[in-house]
Amino acid sequence: MLFHTWVFAVFFLIVYPVHLATRHTRLKLPWLLFASYVFYGWWNPLYLLLIITSTSADYLAVLGMSHSRRKKPWVALSVVINLGMLGFFKYAGFVTRSLNDLFAALGVPYAVPVPDILLPVGISFFVFQSMTYTIDCYRGQMDEEPNFIRYATYVSLFPQLVAGPIERSTNLLRQLRETPKITRHDVADGLSLFLVGLFKKRALADYLALYVDHAYARPDQFDGLALLLATVAFGWQIYFDFSGYTDMARGLGRMMGLRIMLNFNNPYLATGLGDFWRRWHISLSTWFKDYVYLPLGGNRKGEARTYVNMALTMVISGLWHGASWTFVIWGGLHALGRVATRKLEMTRFYIEQIPTAVKRLLVFAFVTFAWIFFRARTVGDAWLIVRRIFGAAWADPRFPLLALGLLAAVWAYQWIYESRLRGALLGSAPVRIALAVFMALYVAGCCGAADKAFIYFQF
Amino acid sequence: MSDKIDLRFGSNDVRLSPREWVIALAIILAVLGLAPLVWPFVEPLHIEPDHRLPFRLGNDYYTYGRLCRAAAAQGRTLVVGDSVVWGHYVPKEETLSAHLNRLDGREDFANLGVDGIHPAAMLGLMDHYGHAIRNRNVVLHCNLLWTGSARHDLSTEKEFAFNHPTLVPQFSPRIPCYREPFGERLGIVIERRLPFHAWKKHLQIAWFSGSDLASWTLEHPYDCPVEAVTLQLPSPNEPPSPRPDARPWTEQGITKQGFAWVELDTSLQWRFFRETVELLRGRGNRLFVLVGPFNEHMLTDDSRQVYADRKQVVEDWLKANGIPHFLPDPLPSALYADASHPLAEGYKLLAKQIFDNAAFIRFTHSEKGTP
Repeated sequence: MLFHTWVFAVFFLIVYPVHLATRHTRLKLPWLLFASYVFYGWWNPLYLLLIITSTSADYLAVLGMSHSRRKKPWVALSVVINLGMLGFFKYAGFVTRSLNDLFAALGVPYAVPVPDILLPVGISFFVFQSMTYTIDCYRGQMDEEPNFIRYATYVSLFPQLVAGPIERSTNLLRQLRETPKITRHDVADGLSLFLVGLFKKRALADYLALYVDHAYARPDQFDGLALLLATVAFGWQIYFDFSGYTDMARGLGRMMGLRIMLNFNNPYLATGLGDFWRRWHISLSTWFKDYVYLPLGGNRKGEARTYVNMALTMVISGLWHGASWTFVIWGGLHALGRVATRKLEMTRFYIEQIPTAVKRLLVFAFVTFAWIFFRARTVGDAWLIVRRIFGAAWADPRFPLLALGLLAAVWAYQWIYESRLRGALLGSAPVRIALAVFMALYVAGCCGAADKAFIYFQF
Repeated sequence: MSDKIDLRFGSNDVRLSPREWVIALAIILAVLGLAPLVWPFVEPLHIEPDHRLPFRLGNDYYTYGRLCRAAAAQGRTLVVGDSVVWGHYVPKEETLSAHLNRLDGREDFANLGVDGIHPAAMLGLMDHYGHAIRNRNVVLHCNLLWTGSARHDLSTEKEFAFNHPTLVPQFSPRIPCYREPFGERLGIVIERRLPFHAWKKHLQIAWFSGSDLASWTLEHPYDCPVEAVTLQLPSPNEPPSPRPDARPWTEQGITKQGFAWVELDTSLQWRFFRETVELLRGRGNRLFVLVGPFNEHMLTDDSRQVYADRKQVVEDWLKANGIPHFLPDPLPSALYADASHPLAEGYKLLAKQIFDNAAFIRFTHSEKGTP
């Protein structure tokens, strides 16, 4: 069920009034859980078995922890079950294909059968969210949740279930313990967030996808400039797609009286790669920081180890996104970028002497280059695109002027948003109203069919 | 644990207060509601003699609704049906309604046929876009071709793409060959109740080659979309594409065929036709049903016998329900282009037969609604 479809509108129009009516009663959690399972089961009811397994494993692990002197086996059990599930559904095919490639390269006349497994939507998100609770309890940062329904609701809450933000139990689970206060300002705020998200998804991401899909499907048929523009367009597409989903998720949460964490903070205005990762997919970046980078030692074990930890975290983060070498390379590129620029970004020269606009452009250029590997179907395609961008002739790219205009407007808007001009632009009620009316009418009148899923659903 | 979780409102939000939302929603709803109503003042619909829905606008139900309003406002008798009424093989001056007008000596009959439509879709078309013709005289064409096979009847279990899927009943009765997901069907049910949606589709069909704006700009990257809206609708005489072979069926290499007629008791299309009749009668329309004339020359002997039985069932139902009707004799073989479409001379002969029919004469003299 996609947020921008009629079926979700009908779903929410049923769920929301009941939520408002039951939020002070004992029915609040069962209703939210039921709604969330309907939402998730809409794709395939069998997927519910996975989410119930993950939920039960972590709930029981924490229960076991609280009744046992030795906590480690319980947390290990949770990690094994969750990562085992993720590994099987997400990486089994990748591992077997890679093994077969290796066998072929070594001349070994054997091929491991490649399992044909359908990747359940959003598995990487809810598995991480559920595991977080167990680890936090193990670390003593979160208290045990006695109510299974509440815990299951936390893991499966429909606004952020399939593409995040990956919420922490310390935030969302605690909110679920309280009666949500919903004011008309919450409803207005929720609508505001939802509308911006809807516009990002329908008017921008889906639009840019038309050009990007075309170019990346047959890169050999496009020249350098078209592929460059397609790559830049993809950078914006994935941002609008993912942050649009997040905005809608946060808006729905807000209307329901829940505060879901910020996940994107104008990442293309970052002035360094470190800054970029503090602004892009914040919930995942902080997850990897807390549960991978810091347990590896973080920056406490010397400089060399810091770089190794940083690089490892980035590569694992790349692999989290997808079971393919293209994602590993993408993570590797960011690892290299971080290692190469970490010190530089801390120098006074970089901070004070290089104009902000130049820093932003450099970061954008690097991130965009790395997106080539994220988006390309194969490593071969990615190399072809790189070669053609830098080597092939540049002809008329036939990139729509309307798309260019929208991108320029959005870039300018974000720039203004982070500048002192923000007050002048958004401080005026007529401007806010005009922007909201424009976005709503543009989505209603100018966008195509609402049938494109969110990119991050595949992760 | 990382720094405190960031629960800030947004990072590039447009944050409206409740009061501002009320104003914004009022403006949005006003625009959505008024655009389809105001548009006819912007884009005039020039009704020509013997006008019909331009072929390119065959899926443009907004324009069809405007045609209905224009014809109803003139108090005309509306000829409703599929491509036989529309006149697939003939120019607009040679259609059934055009010949009826010629015999009548005035522009009394309006062509409200739609090329490519079938009874299931006709029911939806009348239900959602044909409100304007309530209380008018309607000549409704019944084409039994649509019961000529399980595929025509839409009762086959094998999925296939048929015309006008957004007009057919989405949930009940179940159409076995229609397998759209639940969400799509729900969307269709909602959207066909929104005049804005029909208007938006009209803009897409009439000015943007049937695409949404985003897709259109991919094909026309440097063109201004506003300039594409020339406000000159296609001509009703624009021939179908691909251009049909307007020769007698025998000259096209078509041979006699045995149709796998569907039992009318179980036929979906016959059911939808009856529901269309009931819908129109419920809206105060005075109906005259024209059954056929089917190209019986094209049928094998066995098939012709079954067709005769089906025709009898249809006639019995029309009689039982007190609906004036006419089942003309088959036209001469050379006047058909295919199984059900007459050629120009065929329409002329058919119009004459109809005009001589006593039930039709009584029908045309019955009271018409006031414009």
